[in-house]
Amino acid sequence: MVKKNLLFILILCALFLPGFGQPQTSLKISVDDQEDLSRLLVESSFPLQSTLEKNGPYLVIKIRTEEEDYLVQRNSFRSPRIQNLGWSKGADNCILTVKISDPDFRYEYETREDPHQLIIEIRLIKEMLQLDNPANEVRRAPEPKSRPRKDTDSPEGNRSSGEPAGAASEGLRTIVIDPGHGGLEVGAKGKFGALEKDITLDIALRLRSIIEKNLAYRVVLTRDRDIDVSLENRAATVNNNRGYVFISLHVNGYFRKEANGSETYFLGLNATDEEARRMAYFENNSAAMEERIQSDTEDDIMMILWDMAQTAYIQKSGQLAENIQKELNALLGTTNRGIKQAPFKVLTGVACPAVLVEVAFLSNPIEEKKLITEEFQNNVAMAVYRGLTNFLRSYTQE
Amino acid sequence: METKKLVILSALIVLLIVLVLAFFKCGGEEIIKPLPPASLEEDKSSSDEPRELQAVTLFFSSESDEYLHPEEREIPTDSSVVNQARTLVQELLDGPEGDLLNPFPPDTKLRELFVTPEGVAYVDFSREIRDHHISGSSAEIATVFAVVNTLTRNLDSIKKVFILIDGGEKDTLAGHVDLSRPLVPRKDIEAR
Repeated sequence: MVKKNLLFILILCALFLPGFGQPQTSLKISVDDQEDLSRLLVESSFPLQSTLEKNGPYLVIKIRTEEEDYLVQRNSFRSPRIQNLGWSKGADNCILTVKISDPDFRYEYETREDPHQLIIEIRLIKEMLQLDNPANEVRRAPEPKSRPRKDTDSPEGNRSSGEPAGAASEGLRTIVIDPGHGGLEVGAKGKFGALEKDITLDIALRLRSIIEKNLAYRVVLTRDRDIDVSLENRAATVNNNRGYVFISLHVNGYFRKEANGSETYFLGLNATDEEARRMAYFENNSAAMEERIQSDTEDDIMMILWDMAQTAYIQKSGQLAENIQKELNALLGTTNRGIKQAPFKVLTGVACPAVLVEVAFLSNPIEEKKLITEEFQNNVAMAVYRGLTNFLRSYTQE
Repeated sequence: METKKLVILSALIVLLIVLVLAFFKCGGEEIIKPLPPASLEEDKSSSDEPRELQAVTLFFSSESDEYLHPEEREIPTDSSVVNQARTLVQELLDGPEGDLLNPFPPDTKLRELFVTPEGVAYVDFSREIRDHHISGSSAEIATVFAVVNTLTRNLDSIKKVFILIDGGEKDTLAGHVDLSRPLVPRKDIEAR
Protein backbone atom coordinates (compact mmCIF):
# COMPACT_ATOMS: atom_id res chain seq x y z
CA MET A 1 0.00 0.00 0.00
CA VAL A 2 2.70 2.42 1.04
CA LYS A 3 4.77 1.38 -1.92
CA LYS A 4 1.87 1.96 -4.27
CA ASN A 5 1.30 5.43 -2.84
CA LEU A 6 4.93 6.27 -3.20
CA LEU A 7 4.92 5.14 -6.82
CA PHE A 8 1.86 7.26 -7.50
CA ILE A 9 3.55 10.33 -6.02
CA LEU A 10 6.65 9.67 -8.05
CA ILE A 11 4.64 9.45 -11.27
CA LEU A 12 2.86 12.67 -10.39
CA CYS A 13 6.20 14.38 -9.78
CA ALA A 14 7.56 13.14 -13.07
CA LEU A 15 4.55 14.51 -14.88
CA PHE A 16 4.79 17.95 -13.36
CA LEU A 17 8.53 18.34 -13.19
CA PRO A 18 9.24 19.36 -16.78
CA GLY A 19 6.88 22.27 -16.61
CA PHE A 20 8.00 23.31 -13.21
CA GLY A 21 10.00 26.50 -12.81
CA GLN A 22 10.12 27.20 -16.51
CA PRO A 23 10.25 30.89 -17.34
CA GLN A 24 7.13 32.42 -18.80
CA THR A 25 8.91 34.34 -21.48
CA SER A 26 10.39 32.53 -24.40
CA LEU A 27 11.77 32.99 -27.90
CA LYS A 28 11.39 30.31 -30.50
CA ILE A 29 13.62 30.35 -33.54
CA SER A 30 13.23 28.30 -36.65
CA VAL A 31 14.90 28.25 -40.04
CA ASP A 32 13.15 27.59 -43.30
CA ASP A 33 15.10 27.23 -46.54
CA GLN A 34 13.69 28.22 -49.90
CA GLU A 35 15.36 27.90 -53.25
CA ASP A 36 16.63 31.46 -53.31
CA LEU A 37 16.45 32.54 -49.68
CA SER A 38 16.49 31.38 -46.09
CA ARG A 39 13.77 32.51 -43.75
CA LEU A 40 14.46 32.94 -40.07
CA LEU A 41 11.37 33.03 -37.92
CA VAL A 42 11.50 34.33 -34.37
CA GLU A 43 8.35 33.77 -32.38
CA SER A 44 7.84 35.09 -28.90
CA SER A 45 5.39 35.47 -26.09
CA PHE A 46 5.99 39.23 -25.97
CA PRO A 47 5.95 42.02 -28.56
CA LEU A 48 9.19 42.00 -30.52
CA GLN A 49 11.13 45.22 -30.55
CA SER A 50 14.30 44.54 -32.41
CA THR A 51 17.25 46.06 -34.19
CA LEU A 52 19.21 44.24 -36.87
CA GLU A 53 22.77 44.89 -37.88
CA LYS A 54 25.16 43.32 -40.35
CA ASN A 55 28.68 42.72 -39.13
CA GLY A 56 30.93 40.89 -41.59
CA PRO A 57 29.41 37.46 -42.15
CA TYR A 58 27.16 37.91 -39.13
CA LEU A 59 23.67 39.22 -38.73
CA VAL A 60 23.23 40.49 -35.20
CA ILE A 61 19.65 40.74 -33.98
CA LYS A 62 18.99 42.52 -30.73
CA ILE A 63 15.59 41.93 -29.21
CA ARG A 64 14.52 44.14 -26.33
CA THR A 65 13.36 42.34 -23.24
CA GLU A 66 13.12 43.42 -19.64
CA GLU A 67 12.87 39.83 -18.47
CA GLU A 68 15.83 38.43 -16.60
CA ASP A 69 14.89 34.84 -17.07
CA TYR A 70 13.78 33.65 -20.46
CA LEU A 71 14.13 30.67 -22.67
CA VAL A 72 15.43 30.49 -26.21
CA GLN A 73 14.41 27.49 -28.22
CA ARG A 74 15.84 26.57 -31.54
CA ASN A 75 15.10 23.80 -33.97
CA SER A 76 18.10 21.97 -35.25
CA PHE A 77 18.57 22.85 -38.88
CA ARG A 78 20.84 22.48 -41.84
CA SER A 79 20.89 25.44 -44.15
CA PRO A 80 23.11 26.38 -47.08
CA ARG A 81 22.93 30.03 -46.04
CA ILE A 82 22.70 30.02 -42.26
CA GLN A 83 25.74 28.31 -40.84
CA ASN A 84 25.28 28.95 -37.22
CA LEU A 85 22.95 30.50 -34.72
CA GLY A 86 23.86 31.58 -31.24
CA TRP A 87 22.42 33.80 -28.61
CA SER A 88 23.41 35.62 -25.54
CA LYS A 89 21.99 37.91 -22.89
CA GLY A 90 22.62 41.61 -23.08
CA ALA A 91 21.81 44.23 -20.45
CA ASP A 92 18.20 44.69 -21.52
CA ASN A 93 18.05 42.57 -24.60
CA CYS A 94 18.56 39.18 -26.09
CA ILE A 95 21.24 39.11 -28.77
CA LEU A 96 20.94 36.57 -31.54
CA THR A 97 23.96 36.03 -33.70
CA VAL A 98 23.41 34.47 -37.09
CA LYS A 99 26.45 33.35 -39.06
CA ILE A 100 25.81 33.51 -42.78
CA SER A 101 27.80 31.27 -45.12
CA ASP A 102 28.82 34.22 -47.29
CA PRO A 103 29.58 37.76 -46.01
CA ASP A 104 27.89 39.22 -49.08
CA PHE A 105 24.29 38.82 -48.11
CA ARG A 106 21.16 40.93 -47.94
CA TYR A 107 18.41 40.76 -45.38
CA GLU A 108 14.88 42.03 -45.07
CA TYR A 109 12.70 41.77 -42.05
CA GLU A 110 9.18 42.27 -40.90
CA THR A 111 7.61 42.30 -37.44
CA ARG A 112 4.12 40.89 -36.92
CA GLU A 113 1.77 41.06 -33.98
CA ASP A 114 -0.55 38.40 -32.68
CA PRO A 115 1.23 36.10 -32.71
CA HIS A 116 4.42 38.05 -32.09
CA GLN A 117 6.76 37.22 -34.92
CA LEU A 118 9.90 38.56 -36.46
CA ILE A 119 10.51 37.27 -39.96
CA ILE A 120 13.90 37.72 -41.52
CA GLU A 121 14.69 36.79 -45.10
CA ILE A 122 18.31 36.26 -45.96
CA ARG A 123 19.59 36.15 -49.53
CA LEU A 124 23.13 35.64 -50.76
CA ILE A 125 24.24 38.20 -53.31
CA LYS A 126 25.99 35.59 -55.41
CA GLU A 127 22.74 33.66 -55.69
CA MET A 128 20.81 36.83 -56.53
CA LEU A 129 23.22 37.55 -59.38
CA GLN A 130 22.83 34.06 -60.73
CA LEU A 131 19.07 34.33 -60.66
CA ASP A 132 19.05 37.71 -62.36
CA ASN A 133 21.11 36.50 -65.33
CA PRO A 134 20.53 32.82 -65.63
CA ALA A 135 22.32 32.86 -68.98
CA ASN A 136 25.48 34.41 -67.70
CA GLU A 137 27.85 33.03 -65.18
CA VAL A 138 28.95 35.33 -62.45
CA ARG A 139 31.98 37.04 -63.88
CA ARG A 140 32.90 39.16 -60.99
CA ALA A 141 32.46 38.73 -57.31
CA PRO A 142 30.77 41.72 -55.74
CA GLU A 143 33.01 43.97 -53.72
CA PRO A 144 32.76 43.06 -50.09
CA LYS A 145 31.18 46.24 -48.81
CA SER A 146 31.06 45.05 -45.29
CA ARG A 147 34.82 44.95 -44.89
CA PRO A 148 36.30 48.39 -44.75
CA ARG A 149 39.79 46.98 -44.82
CA LYS A 150 42.62 48.58 -46.66
CA ASP A 151 44.66 46.47 -48.96
CA THR A 152 47.17 49.08 -49.90
CA ASP A 153 50.24 47.16 -48.85
CA SER A 154 48.98 43.79 -50.00
CA PRO A 155 49.54 43.45 -53.72
CA GLU A 156 48.01 39.99 -54.01
CA GLY A 157 44.98 41.03 -52.04
CA ASN A 158 44.55 44.02 -54.30
CA ARG A 159 44.97 42.14 -57.48
CA SER A 160 42.62 39.35 -56.68
CA SER A 161 39.93 41.32 -54.93
CA GLY A 162 40.04 44.18 -57.39
CA GLU A 163 39.79 42.28 -60.64
CA PRO A 164 38.19 38.96 -61.37
CA ALA A 165 40.42 35.96 -61.53
CA GLY A 166 41.29 34.65 -64.98
CA ALA A 167 38.70 32.57 -66.78
CA ALA A 168 40.70 29.44 -66.16
CA SER A 169 40.65 29.85 -62.41
CA GLU A 170 37.02 30.95 -62.28
CA GLY A 171 35.14 28.72 -59.92
CA LEU A 172 38.31 27.31 -58.41
CA ARG A 173 38.72 27.37 -54.69
CA THR A 174 41.52 29.44 -53.29
CA ILE A 175 44.40 28.34 -51.08
CA VAL A 176 46.08 31.32 -49.42
CA ILE A 177 49.74 30.93 -48.51
CA ASP A 178 51.31 33.43 -46.16
CA PRO A 179 55.10 33.77 -46.15
CA GLY A 180 55.75 35.04 -42.59
CA HIS A 181 57.25 38.50 -41.99
CA GLY A 182 58.80 40.56 -44.83
CA GLY A 183 60.32 43.94 -45.51
CA LEU A 184 61.67 45.69 -42.42
CA GLU A 185 60.14 42.98 -40.30
CA VAL A 186 62.78 40.33 -40.86
CA GLY A 187 61.53 37.82 -38.27
CA ALA A 188 63.98 35.41 -36.68
CA LYS A 189 67.68 35.68 -37.56
CA GLY A 190 70.22 32.90 -37.87
CA LYS A 191 73.79 32.93 -36.55
CA PHE A 192 75.09 32.71 -40.13
CA GLY A 193 72.86 35.52 -41.34
CA ALA A 194 69.80 33.73 -42.73
CA LEU A 195 66.57 35.66 -42.26
CA GLU A 196 63.17 34.18 -41.56
CA LYS A 197 61.43 36.43 -44.12
CA ASP A 198 63.58 35.08 -46.98
CA ILE A 199 63.17 31.42 -46.08
CA THR A 200 59.40 31.69 -45.68
CA LEU A 201 59.08 33.39 -49.07
CA ASP A 202 61.25 30.75 -50.78
CA ILE A 203 59.19 27.91 -49.33
CA ALA A 204 55.91 29.68 -50.17
CA LEU A 205 56.90 30.07 -53.83
CA ARG A 206 57.86 26.39 -54.02
CA LEU A 207 54.61 25.36 -52.35
CA ARG A 208 52.62 27.51 -54.75
CA SER A 209 54.11 25.87 -57.81
CA ILE A 210 53.55 22.36 -56.43
CA ILE A 211 49.89 23.11 -55.69
CA GLU A 212 49.30 24.82 -59.04
CA LYS A 213 50.86 21.90 -60.90
CA ASN A 214 48.98 19.18 -59.07
CA LEU A 215 45.70 20.48 -57.75
CA ALA A 216 42.72 22.27 -59.23
CA TYR A 217 43.03 25.16 -56.82
CA ARG A 218 43.93 28.79 -57.22
CA VAL A 219 46.84 29.93 -55.05
CA VAL A 220 47.09 33.43 -53.62
CA LEU A 221 50.14 34.62 -51.71
CA THR A 222 49.85 37.34 -49.08
CA ARG A 223 53.16 38.64 -50.44
CA ASP A 224 55.26 37.44 -53.38
CA ARG A 225 58.29 39.59 -52.69
CA ASP A 226 60.21 41.17 -49.85
CA ILE A 227 57.70 43.74 -48.54
CA ASP A 228 55.99 44.60 -45.29
CA VAL A 229 52.41 43.37 -45.03
CA SER A 230 50.45 43.94 -41.84
CA LEU A 231 48.94 40.93 -40.14
CA GLU A 232 45.49 42.41 -40.58
CA ASN A 233 45.99 42.66 -44.34
CA ARG A 234 47.19 39.09 -44.50
CA ALA A 235 43.92 37.96 -42.92
CA ALA A 236 42.01 40.35 -45.18
CA THR A 237 43.65 38.78 -48.23
CA VAL A 238 42.24 35.42 -47.15
CA ASN A 239 38.73 36.69 -46.56
CA ASN A 240 38.57 38.97 -49.60
CA ASN A 241 39.59 36.04 -51.79
CA ARG A 242 37.15 33.75 -49.99
CA GLY A 243 40.09 31.61 -49.00
CA TYR A 244 39.27 27.95 -48.61
CA VAL A 245 42.39 27.10 -46.62
CA PHE A 246 45.04 29.38 -45.11
CA ILE A 247 48.63 28.31 -44.46
CA SER A 248 51.08 30.70 -42.80
CA LEU A 249 54.74 29.69 -43.10
CA HIS A 250 57.20 30.64 -40.35
CA VAL A 251 60.61 29.75 -39.04
CA ASN A 252 61.08 29.56 -35.29
CA GLY A 253 63.50 31.15 -32.83
CA TYR A 254 64.35 30.67 -29.17
CA PHE A 255 66.73 31.81 -26.45
CA ARG A 256 68.76 28.61 -26.42
CA LYS A 257 70.43 27.40 -29.59
CA GLU A 258 69.61 23.74 -28.89
CA ALA A 259 65.89 24.30 -29.47
CA ASN A 260 64.95 22.36 -32.60
CA GLY A 261 62.16 20.72 -34.54
CA SER A 262 58.95 21.42 -36.43
CA GLU A 263 55.53 22.28 -35.10
CA THR A 264 52.18 23.33 -36.51
CA TYR A 265 49.92 25.81 -34.75
CA PHE A 266 46.24 26.53 -34.98
CA LEU A 267 44.39 29.23 -33.10
CA GLY A 268 44.14 28.79 -29.38
CA LEU A 269 41.22 30.60 -27.87
CA ASN A 270 42.34 33.38 -25.65
CA ALA A 271 39.45 33.01 -23.26
CA THR A 272 38.69 32.41 -19.64
CA ASP A 273 36.79 29.21 -18.86
CA GLU A 274 33.57 31.18 -18.72
CA GLU A 275 34.15 32.71 -22.15
CA ALA A 276 35.22 29.37 -23.58
CA ARG A 277 31.94 27.86 -22.48
CA ARG A 278 30.10 30.63 -24.20
CA MET A 279 32.02 30.16 -27.43
CA ALA A 280 31.61 26.41 -27.38
CA TYR A 281 27.94 27.06 -27.86
CA PHE A 282 28.50 29.00 -31.05
CA GLU A 283 30.66 26.23 -32.42
CA ASN A 284 28.10 23.61 -31.71
CA ASN A 285 26.09 23.62 -34.88
CA SER A 286 23.57 20.92 -34.24
CA ALA A 287 23.11 21.86 -30.62
CA ALA A 288 19.65 21.24 -29.38
CA MET A 289 17.37 23.80 -27.98
CA GLU A 290 18.04 25.63 -24.85
CA GLU A 291 21.34 26.82 -23.67
CA ARG A 292 21.79 29.44 -21.03
CA ILE A 293 24.72 31.69 -21.52
CA GLN A 294 25.39 34.63 -19.30
CA SER A 295 26.83 37.78 -20.69
CA ASP A 296 27.52 41.01 -18.92
CA THR A 297 27.84 43.48 -21.72
CA GLU A 298 27.30 43.76 -25.41
CA ASP A 299 30.95 44.63 -25.86
CA ASP A 300 31.79 41.10 -24.90
CA ILE A 301 29.61 39.87 -27.69
CA MET A 302 31.23 42.06 -30.30
CA MET A 303 34.64 40.87 -29.25
CA ILE A 304 33.53 37.29 -29.56
CA LEU A 305 32.05 38.01 -32.96
CA TRP A 306 35.43 38.95 -34.34
CA ASP A 307 37.04 36.03 -32.61
CA MET A 308 34.45 33.86 -34.16
CA ALA A 309 35.72 34.36 -37.69
CA GLN A 310 38.31 31.70 -36.85
CA THR A 311 36.45 30.22 -33.90
CA ALA A 312 33.97 28.59 -36.22
CA TYR A 313 36.83 26.76 -37.96
CA ILE A 314 39.01 25.79 -35.03
CA GLN A 315 38.18 22.13 -35.19
CA LYS A 316 38.94 21.98 -38.92
CA SER A 317 42.11 23.99 -38.39
CA GLY A 318 43.19 21.41 -35.85
CA GLN A 319 42.69 18.65 -38.41
CA LEU A 320 44.65 20.60 -41.01
CA ALA A 321 47.46 21.11 -38.49
CA GLU A 322 47.50 17.41 -37.71
CA ASN A 323 47.69 16.44 -41.38
CA ILE A 324 50.54 18.84 -42.12
CA GLN A 325 52.49 17.98 -38.98
CA LYS A 326 52.32 14.27 -39.80
CA GLU A 327 53.89 14.85 -43.22
CA LEU A 328 56.54 17.22 -41.85
CA ASN A 329 57.68 14.47 -39.50
CA ALA A 330 57.76 11.94 -42.27
CA LEU A 331 59.73 14.08 -44.72
CA LEU A 332 62.03 16.32 -42.73
CA GLY A 333 63.66 14.14 -40.11
CA THR A 334 63.33 17.03 -37.67
CA THR A 335 62.12 16.59 -34.10
CA ASN A 336 58.36 16.32 -33.91
CA ARG A 337 57.12 19.09 -31.63
CA GLY A 338 53.53 18.23 -32.49
CA ILE A 339 50.52 20.42 -33.05
CA LYS A 340 49.97 23.35 -30.73
CA GLN A 341 47.54 26.14 -30.08
CA ALA A 342 48.34 29.80 -29.52
CA PRO A 343 46.50 33.12 -29.86
CA PHE A 344 48.30 34.15 -33.04
CA LYS A 345 47.19 37.44 -34.53
CA VAL A 346 47.38 36.35 -38.18
CA LEU A 347 44.95 33.46 -37.59
CA THR A 348 42.36 35.29 -35.51
CA GLY A 349 40.29 36.91 -38.24
CA VAL A 350 40.63 34.23 -40.90
CA ALA A 351 37.30 32.75 -41.97
CA CYS A 352 38.49 29.29 -43.09
CA PRO A 353 40.67 26.47 -41.74
CA ALA A 354 43.99 28.14 -40.91
CA VAL A 355 47.35 27.00 -39.57
CA LEU A 356 50.78 28.44 -38.92
CA VAL A 357 53.69 26.11 -39.65
CA GLU A 358 56.96 26.59 -37.76
CA VAL A 359 59.27 24.71 -40.08
CA ALA A 360 62.39 24.56 -37.89
CA PHE A 361 64.52 26.78 -35.64
CA LEU A 362 66.64 29.47 -37.23
CA SER A 363 68.21 30.09 -33.81
CA ASN A 364 69.69 26.58 -34.03
CA PRO A 365 72.85 26.69 -36.21
CA ILE A 366 72.38 23.11 -37.42
CA GLU A 367 68.81 23.78 -38.52
CA GLU A 368 69.79 27.14 -40.01
CA LYS A 369 72.17 25.34 -42.37
CA LYS A 370 69.38 22.97 -43.39
CA LEU A 371 66.80 25.71 -43.78
CA ILE A 372 68.73 27.53 -46.49
CA THR A 373 69.17 24.48 -48.71
CA GLU A 374 66.97 23.94 -51.72
CA GLU A 375 66.50 20.29 -50.82
CA PHE A 376 65.15 21.04 -47.36
CA GLN A 377 62.88 23.81 -48.63
CA ASN A 378 61.48 21.48 -51.30
CA ASN A 379 60.85 18.85 -48.68
CA VAL A 380 58.99 21.33 -46.52
CA ALA A 381 56.86 22.45 -49.47
CA MET A 382 56.16 18.82 -50.38
CA ALA A 383 55.26 17.91 -46.80
CA VAL A 384 52.86 20.84 -46.49
CA TYR A 385 51.39 19.97 -49.89
CA ARG A 386 50.79 16.36 -48.88
CA GLY A 387 49.27 17.34 -45.55
CA LEU A 388 47.04 19.82 -47.35
CA THR A 389 45.92 17.24 -49.92
CA ASN A 390 45.05 14.74 -47.21
CA PHE A 391 43.08 17.39 -45.41
CA LEU A 392 41.27 18.52 -48.56
CA ARG A 393 40.23 14.95 -49.31
CA SER A 394 37.97 14.88 -46.26
CA TYR A 395 37.19 18.61 -46.08
CA THR A 396 35.79 18.84 -49.60
CA GLN A 397 33.40 15.96 -48.85
CA GLU A 398 31.53 18.05 -46.31
CA MET B 1 44.61 111.69 -1.32
CA GLU B 2 48.27 111.07 -0.54
CA THR B 3 47.50 109.04 2.55
CA LYS B 4 44.90 106.99 0.71
CA LYS B 5 47.46 106.07 -1.94
CA LEU B 6 49.96 105.16 0.77
CA VAL B 7 47.45 102.92 2.51
CA ILE B 8 46.61 101.11 -0.72
CA LEU B 9 50.28 100.72 -1.57
CA SER B 10 51.21 99.34 1.83
CA ALA B 11 48.23 97.01 1.75
CA LEU B 12 49.39 95.74 -1.60
CA ILE B 13 52.92 95.19 -0.30
CA VAL B 14 51.65 93.28 2.74
CA LEU B 15 49.46 91.16 0.46
CA LEU B 16 52.43 90.43 -1.78
CA ILE B 17 54.59 89.36 1.17
CA VAL B 18 51.85 87.08 2.45
CA LEU B 19 51.43 85.55 -1.00
CA VAL B 20 55.16 85.00 -1.44
CA LEU B 21 55.44 83.40 1.99
CA ALA B 22 52.44 81.20 1.32
CA PHE B 23 53.90 80.16 -2.02
CA PHE B 24 57.22 79.16 -0.52
CA LYS B 25 55.61 77.25 2.28
CA CYS B 26 53.41 75.17 0.00
CA GLY B 27 55.98 74.91 -2.74
CA GLY B 28 58.55 73.72 -0.24
CA GLU B 29 56.40 70.83 0.74
CA GLU B 30 55.85 69.83 -2.86
CA ILE B 31 59.55 69.82 -3.62
CA ILE B 32 60.38 67.47 -0.77
CA LYS B 33 58.41 64.61 -2.40
CA PRO B 34 59.45 64.19 -6.02
CA LEU B 35 57.99 61.19 -7.85
CA PRO B 36 60.69 58.56 -8.29
CA PRO B 37 60.79 56.98 -11.73
CA ALA B 38 60.44 53.45 -10.40
CA SER B 39 57.28 53.09 -8.40
CA LEU B 40 58.94 50.57 -6.09
CA GLU B 41 60.84 53.27 -4.27
CA GLU B 42 57.65 55.19 -3.87
CA ASP B 43 56.24 52.39 -1.75
CA LYS B 44 59.32 52.08 0.41
CA SER B 45 59.40 55.80 1.15
CA SER B 46 55.75 55.78 2.10
CA SER B 47 56.32 53.47 5.08
CA ASP B 48 59.55 53.02 6.94
CA GLU B 49 58.72 49.91 8.96
CA PRO B 50 60.27 46.70 7.71
CA ARG B 51 57.89 44.73 5.49
CA GLU B 52 56.99 41.13 5.82
CA LEU B 53 58.00 38.93 2.91
CA GLN B 54 55.79 36.70 0.82
CA ALA B 55 56.74 33.82 -1.45
CA VAL B 56 56.02 34.28 -5.15
CA THR B 57 56.56 32.21 -8.28
CA LEU B 58 58.20 33.83 -11.29
CA PHE B 59 58.27 32.19 -14.72
CA PHE B 60 61.37 32.22 -16.91
CA SER B 61 62.77 30.30 -19.87
CA SER B 62 65.17 27.45 -19.37
CA GLU B 63 68.24 25.78 -20.89
CA SER B 64 66.47 22.42 -20.90
CA ASP B 65 63.41 23.02 -23.07
CA GLU B 66 61.04 25.70 -24.38
CA TYR B 67 58.60 25.59 -21.47
CA LEU B 68 58.32 28.25 -18.78
CA HIS B 69 60.00 27.20 -15.54
CA PRO B 70 59.16 28.52 -12.07
CA GLU B 71 61.60 30.30 -9.79
CA GLU B 72 60.50 30.85 -6.20
CA ARG B 73 61.37 34.18 -4.68
CA GLU B 74 60.30 36.45 -1.82
CA ILE B 75 58.98 39.95 -2.26
CA PRO B 76 57.76 42.42 0.38
CA THR B 77 54.06 42.04 1.13
CA ASP B 78 51.89 44.91 0.04
CA SER B 79 48.19 45.37 0.36
CA SER B 80 48.01 47.02 -3.05
CA VAL B 81 47.61 44.68 -6.01
CA VAL B 82 49.11 47.28 -8.33
CA ASN B 83 52.24 47.59 -6.22
CA GLN B 84 52.60 43.84 -6.02
CA ALA B 85 52.14 43.52 -9.76
CA ARG B 86 54.79 46.17 -10.36
CA THR B 87 57.21 44.37 -8.08
CA LEU B 88 56.56 41.07 -9.87
CA VAL B 89 57.16 42.54 -13.34
CA GLN B 90 60.27 44.35 -12.12
CA GLU B 91 61.58 41.08 -10.66
CA LEU B 92 60.91 39.39 -14.01
CA LEU B 93 62.80 42.06 -15.93
CA ASP B 94 65.72 41.80 -13.49
CA GLY B 95 66.01 38.20 -14.66
CA PRO B 96 66.36 34.84 -12.95
CA GLU B 97 68.66 34.40 -9.94
CA GLY B 98 69.22 30.70 -10.62
CA ASP B 99 70.04 28.77 -13.80
CA LEU B 100 67.03 29.84 -15.83
CA LEU B 101 67.12 32.07 -18.92
CA ASN B 102 65.73 35.59 -19.11
CA PRO B 103 63.09 35.81 -21.85
CA PHE B 104 63.22 39.64 -21.87
CA PRO B 105 65.60 41.76 -23.92
CA PRO B 106 68.17 43.04 -21.38
CA ASP B 107 67.32 46.76 -21.52
CA THR B 108 63.53 46.37 -21.30
CA LYS B 109 61.92 48.62 -18.69
CA LEU B 110 58.52 48.73 -17.05
CA ARG B 111 56.98 52.07 -17.95
CA GLU B 112 53.63 51.82 -16.23
CA LEU B 113 51.24 49.31 -14.78
CA PHE B 114 47.65 49.55 -13.68
CA VAL B 115 44.86 47.13 -12.90
CA THR B 116 41.21 47.65 -13.84
CA PRO B 117 38.37 46.70 -11.47
CA GLU B 118 37.56 43.86 -13.90
CA GLY B 119 40.92 42.27 -13.16
CA VAL B 120 42.80 43.22 -16.32
CA ALA B 121 46.39 44.27 -15.66
CA TYR B 122 47.75 46.74 -18.22
CA VAL B 123 51.52 46.40 -18.36
CA ASP B 124 53.37 48.99 -20.38
CA PHE B 125 56.92 48.04 -21.42
CA SER B 126 59.57 50.22 -23.00
CA ARG B 127 60.11 49.77 -26.73
CA GLU B 128 63.16 47.56 -26.23
CA ILE B 129 60.91 44.59 -25.52
CA ARG B 130 59.90 44.80 -29.18
CA ASP B 131 62.92 46.36 -30.87
CA HIS B 132 65.47 44.00 -29.32
CA HIS B 133 63.42 40.83 -29.32
CA ILE B 134 65.03 37.87 -31.07
CA SER B 135 61.67 36.95 -32.70
CA GLY B 136 60.40 33.45 -33.41
CA SER B 137 57.07 32.11 -32.14
CA SER B 138 58.55 30.10 -29.29
CA ALA B 139 60.64 33.01 -28.00
CA GLU B 140 57.72 35.42 -28.29
CA ILE B 141 55.32 33.08 -26.51
CA ALA B 142 57.86 32.71 -23.68
CA THR B 143 58.28 36.48 -23.27
CA VAL B 144 54.58 37.26 -23.35
CA PHE B 145 53.40 34.44 -21.13
CA ALA B 146 56.21 34.84 -18.61
CA VAL B 147 54.41 38.11 -17.79
CA VAL B 148 50.84 36.82 -18.10
CA ASN B 149 51.39 33.58 -16.18
CA THR B 150 53.48 35.22 -13.45
CA LEU B 151 50.92 37.95 -12.72
CA THR B 152 47.85 35.71 -12.81
CA ARG B 153 49.57 32.96 -10.82
CA ASN B 154 50.52 35.20 -7.90
CA LEU B 155 47.65 37.67 -7.83
CA ASP B 156 44.18 36.15 -7.77
CA SER B 157 42.49 39.42 -8.61
CA ILE B 158 44.32 39.62 -11.94
CA LYS B 159 42.54 37.49 -14.53
CA LYS B 160 43.97 38.84 -17.77
CA VAL B 161 46.97 40.84 -18.88
CA PHE B 162 47.02 43.50 -21.57
CA ILE B 163 50.55 44.18 -22.77
CA LEU B 164 51.28 47.68 -24.03
CA ILE B 165 54.52 48.79 -25.64
CA ASP B 166 55.90 52.30 -25.36
CA GLY B 167 52.61 53.61 -24.06
CA GLY B 168 50.34 52.15 -26.71
CA GLU B 169 48.61 49.07 -28.04
CA LYS B 170 50.58 46.98 -30.49
CA ASP B 171 49.40 44.14 -32.71
CA THR B 172 52.17 41.83 -31.61
CA LEU B 173 55.60 41.78 -30.00
CA ALA B 174 57.36 40.22 -32.98
CA GLY B 175 54.69 39.14 -35.45
CA HIS B 176 52.86 36.31 -33.72
CA VAL B 177 51.01 36.55 -30.39
CA ASP B 178 47.97 38.83 -30.55
CA LEU B 179 48.50 41.72 -28.13
CA SER B 180 45.46 43.68 -29.26
CA ARG B 181 43.37 42.21 -26.48
CA PRO B 182 43.95 41.04 -22.92
CA LEU B 183 45.57 37.63 -22.62
CA VAL B 184 44.64 34.80 -20.30
CA PRO B 185 47.40 32.59 -18.86
CA ARG B 186 48.42 29.39 -20.67
CA LYS B 187 49.13 26.50 -18.35
CA ASP B 188 50.21 24.29 -21.27
CA ILE B 189 53.49 26.15 -21.66
CA GLU B 190 54.49 25.76 -18.01
CA ALA B 191 56.98 22.94 -17.38
CA ARG B 192 55.51 20.05 -15.47
